[in-house]
Amino acid sequence: MDIPPANINQTEPSGAEDCTASVAKGAAVEMELGPESRLLPEMLGEELWQAAGAELVELSKAEFAEALETIGAKDNFGLDPGKQANERQRETFWRALHLEELAIARGCALGRESAWRRFLAQYREQLTGAAVEMTGSVTLGEELASALYSELFGLTEREGKRWSPLLRYSGRGSLMGWLRAILAQRRVNQYRKIGRETELGEIEPAARVSEQIELKQLEDLRAAIKMTLSAASAEERFVLSAYYLDQHTLHEISRVLRVHEATVSRKLKRATEHLRKELLRTLRERGLSRRAAEEALGIDPRDVDINLRRLLQESEGGPNSNKADLDKGDLHKERQE
Amino acid sequence: MNWNFQLGIHPDADQLSVFVEGAATSREHERMLAHLAECAECRKAVFFMQPQEEMQAVAREPVKGWIWGRLLPVGLPAAALACGLVAVMVHIWNRDSALRNPQQVASLRKSEVHLPPTTVAPSTDSETVQRFGTARGAAPASNLSGHANLSLPKSLNMPESSGQAAAKVAAPETTAAGLSANAPVGRAGGSAGGAIGGISPELSLNGRNFAKLQQIPAPSSAQDAASQNDLAKKKDLGGLMIEQASGQDKALAGVSGRITDRTGAAISGASVSVRDAIGNTRQTTTSADGSFNLTGLPAGRYELTATAIGFKTTEQSIELNPSQLAMMEPVLDVGTVSGTVEVASAAAQLQTESANVGQVSTGQVVAEIPGVGRDVGVPSGLPVTATVSHGKRFISLDNAGNLFLSRNGAKKWKKINAQWAGKAVRIELTPAYSSEAPAKPKNETLGKASEAAVFLLTTDSGTVWTSKDGAHWRQQ
Repeated sequence: MDIPPANINQTEPSGAEDCTASVAKGAAVEMELGPESRLLPEMLGEELWQAAGAELVELSKAEFAEALETIGAKDNFGLDPGKQANERQRETFWRALHLEELAIARGCALGRESAWRRFLAQYREQLTGAAVEMTGSVTLGEELASALYSELFGLTEREGKRWSPLLRYSGRGSLMGWLRAILAQRRVNQYRKIGRETELGEIEPAARVSEQIELKQLEDLRAAIKMTLSAASAEERFVLSAYYLDQHTLHEISRVLRVHEATVSRKLKRATEHLRKELLRTLRERGLSRRAAEEALGIDPRDVDINLRRLLQESEGGPNSNKADLDKGDLHKERQE
Repeated sequence: MNWNFQLGIHPDADQLSVFVEGAATSREHERMLAHLAECAECRKAVFFMQPQEEMQAVAREPVKGWIWGRLLPVGLPAAALACGLVAVMVHIWNRDSALRNPQQVASLRKSEVHLPPTTVAPSTDSETVQRFGTARGAAPASNLSGHANLSLPKSLNMPESSGQAAAKVAAPETTAAGLSANAPVGRAGGSAGGAIGGISPELSLNGRNFAKLQQIPAPSSAQDAASQNDLAKKKDLGGLMIEQASGQDKALAGVSGRITDRTGAAISGASVSVRDAIGNTRQTTTSADGSFNLTGLPAGRYELTATAIGFKTTEQSIELNPSQLAMMEPVLDVGTVSGTVEVASAAAQLQTESANVGQVSTGQVVAEIPGVGRDVGVPSGLPVTATVSHGKRFISLDNAGNLFLSRNGAKKWKKINAQWAGKAVRIELTPAYSSEAPAKPKNETLGKASEAAVFLLTTDSGTVWTSKDGAHWRQQ
């Protein structure tokens, strides 16, 4: 992917800033909640506090209850926005959280020593292992992991306050999964710093497409792809992008989607066929002869894959694409609520 | 947290992990996919989050190499030293065992034990090394051939404990020394040393052994090498001068080999025992690669019995000649029924001065009889409750009711999709095939439908299904 170099060096700080701002905002929301507007019943709060073993990580009942309230409010108890969760739904939501891991994360974020001891005992090795796995190198992995450690320790002070990303762990997924996610994000940042030059090569096939297809046609195709894609389901688009743009294998995609490889294959085939048909139709609507349209896409079905990839890349890099917008933003810039 | 990812706004780690772990609601899942379809970087992050098996292997390799690299300077000399010790031990053990065989006629009188003057010398490191060198030269077979036990005969009538010690010594110490052979070290050496120290008055040696002893007045046990004092002490006993053995020399024999099943796969943990005419029995179990080793047997005729759980017991007669290591490769057949193979052999012919390794007999082929209960590894990883086979087709049932079919003799397994309702509880062969004679004609009483059926499956709801090939099933 071609990435404008403009924001490369600002990646980390801006991400952290956003997080801080958003958390500060979250704290402000909590302040507004008076004791009478608390949603967590005291009995349940105590029960969950005990189930989480929060005492072992020096987390008071009030602190833990506060964490639960914040998380519930943030995700609207897993319901669609606008819906009001009833007592039962709230309880179900809280009970489904990874309470013990949440307690550890909160304890760590608040700088409790026993929480850190437990964290290190349980996750240190796994975290380094995951980083090594992700980077494919011991040195890089250890570097990545230790950078994340200092971040988690809250060494980045913002507005005179220590702040740890662990505060943002909600307990809905596992803590290890969260750690993997944050590692992956940091890795992507690293990757685009390192891999920027090599990615220039990816522009080449698109250039070749430009040679094959006349400029006007290309514009048409771009528009057609955009239109067809916007009508496709999110999953189809994801599969198409992951397969054609990122060139992941069906197996890798199937793991992300948690479905069988064969299902992904079927979905991909359907999406590709649909895309091709729609493109042909669009092109013909725009005045191309059937033959010219087929030529543009490649008559031989075997070419379709390659051409689709090129076209998708083209459309990704095209002026109508939202890519430029994306690059202006930072990967870790999160929506402020 | 809002799952409406607008342009420039990316999911945070928490949302990514919730999505990847499948904890997101369908709406959140949909939103995330929509974002991922557009956002190459979040997509990359999501794929990074997947544990990568191959990457693991790559990443861990250098660590391992590094450790070995560090240990190498220490490890190599240690291994070399251990090799030398092994040679000495084997040699002494050889002598010791030979001496302790009560069947041997020669006797050793205490009064005749004396030390040759050449053997008493200050013990220095260089000398020790030199001796090790000599020892290695003198007993090359033990070090290099992989059949160290050849020169390690042990009496059948030896006390049980020593027998076990000998059986145990091979594996752990050998690994430490970096040897691939079954060379006994350590404990064998220890007991050998002890034997020389304690039992030597009763020992007898033949001329050959005597000659070797004079050649190597070497240390007597592995443990001794550690301490110079010990070394010196034992040396006093090392250079025994022994009366020439009178009468016929009865060298000991052994049997070793590998136990496999019909497909050639090694059977580990199988019990192998030999029984002589009087009923003395020696027993061992096969190692992970299916090999076994029984040595120190007086020449003569033995019945070798191999048993393994889920296999038919095989019995074979073997004739052991003196100083001979017989190779046996019994092939076990799947099944619980035992079959006996009688192999007649000629009367023992004693051969006094040969130390040849000879191929005495290979495993006898037993008629393939399908059976039940073989322990096989099926893809589910769950314990197998039953396995049946017909020809090369194996069907295994694990304890979760999954059925697996192998068409190539239990090498590759494929899950059989259940066409039946409920859980499969029993798998067996149809009566026509489950009897001992595989060539028996089909049972007429079975009716036409199941005439050709080989496999019989019972589900927990009581329905019975049959199949001819294991892949296609039909309800009875």
